[in-house]
Amino acid sequence: MPDGAVQPRVRTERRRKLNFRPWLRALHRDIGYFAVGLTVVYATSGLAVNHLKDWDPNFKQVNRTHQLGLPLPTDDAAAAKSALAALDVREAPREVYRASDTQLDLVFDKRTFHVDTKSGVVHEEGQAARPLLRVANWLHLNRGKKAWSYVADFYAVFLLFLAFSGLFMIPGRKGLLGRGAIVGLLGAAVPIVYVLLSGGP
Amino acid sequence: MNRFNPEFEQALARRRFIQAAAGGTVIMALGSLYVLSDDLTREAKAQTRNDGRPRLPPGQRVIEALKPMGGEPGDPSPGNYRLRVHGEVDAPFELGFAELLALPQIEQALDVHCVTTWSVLGAKWQGVRVADLAERAKLKKSARYVIFEAAHGYTSNVALRDALKPSVMVAHRLNGTPLARAHGAPVRAVLPEFYFWKSAKWLTGIRFSSHDEPGYWETRGYSNHADPWKEERYA
Repeated sequence: MPDGAVQPRVRTERRRKLNFRPWLRALHRDIGYFAVGLTVVYATSGLAVNHLKDWDPNFKQVNRTHQLGLPLPTDDAAAAKSALAALDVREAPREVYRASDTQLDLVFDKRTFHVDTKSGVVHEEGQAARPLLRVANWLHLNRGKKAWSYVADFYAVFLLFLAFSGLFMIPGRKGLLGRGAIVGLLGAAVPIVYVLLSGGP
Repeated sequence: MNRFNPEFEQALARRRFIQAAAGGTVIMALGSLYVLSDDLTREAKAQTRNDGRPRLPPGQRVIEALKPMGGEPGDPSPGNYRLRVHGEVDAPFELGFAELLALPQIEQALDVHCVTTWSVLGAKWQGVRVADLAERAKLKKSARYVIFEAAHGYTSNVALRDALKPSVMVAHRLNGTPLARAHGAPVRAVLPEFYFWKSAKWLTGIRFSSHDEPGYWETRGYSNHADPWKEERYA
């Protein structure tokens, strides 16, 4: 039957034209690859900063007390030299500051020694940056401003694309017409239920 | 029932799982109760301030020492330090660290309350009253608000009447030792009646203003007034 042989070919061509999924998957995949680095930065920093009350996500704190032998020289520079020798610090201080009759501050880039010249007690305090986390937090909180605002905006748009393209990647019962819809609704319900239960802002 | 029956084994495994899950839940609940019922917090909850309010604001838990809460550090150098007092005043001035130390000093035991729910009670702060600095700067009648300015553009804002309370100060020593870098060395503001973000670290200026100017956190979703006893955490 002649027309019986033609009809199916027409339907196949129409279906091919409407098949957007290979393009969607390719875009989803490549944008996903591109977003990996930024996702690591934002997720790691998010975890770190979210628990700010439990720890300092940017710095390790240094707090020590030392006792020097007395007497210390009366001249500030000589007292600083003597104190640092006793503390086995070979680095030169950025500043030697006479804060009061009994307090001499020896300031370094990452720490300060507060020397009580009368009692010989030294409070050493400072902070050392957590190398990767500090940078990640700096980026996440957009402390640098300027061009990073554009990067962050693009990343947010990419995340939205990944979220919505993900909805349409799989057809059928595991996609939006079945399991996908249920899981998607469950995910959307999390913030809604939280706002309802907590009373919201 | 046959001991080696697969259905029996499956039921047993399920029972073990439920028992383990229940046990874990009980342990976690007891752990939470332990955390919630620490002695310092319990004692503080039983106390009342002179103004009749409870010593511990709602939703707070007492810890022993300040926690460093981050922020972009300022220059800790006392030699480079300058405090600028300016704005709606007739006699603006700047002070170096030594000049600040030469002003009349006070030491106060103050309670401070962080918006992240920890409180430190009775820490001894040494420094200068903001009211004394305001008096020296000779406020104009137009001054209504105080903006605390700090390193890297951080600011916090309060009404003038709140900033001039005797408990409000700029501090350079805490519990007998110089202020640590993590807590804003060499000088920070201390405003004990507000959540602690109002107490700007690495303080560089006190500006008196005719109008309110919400600060760093106040423009990022936190309360403009920040009263811990009203739990004004968020806008």
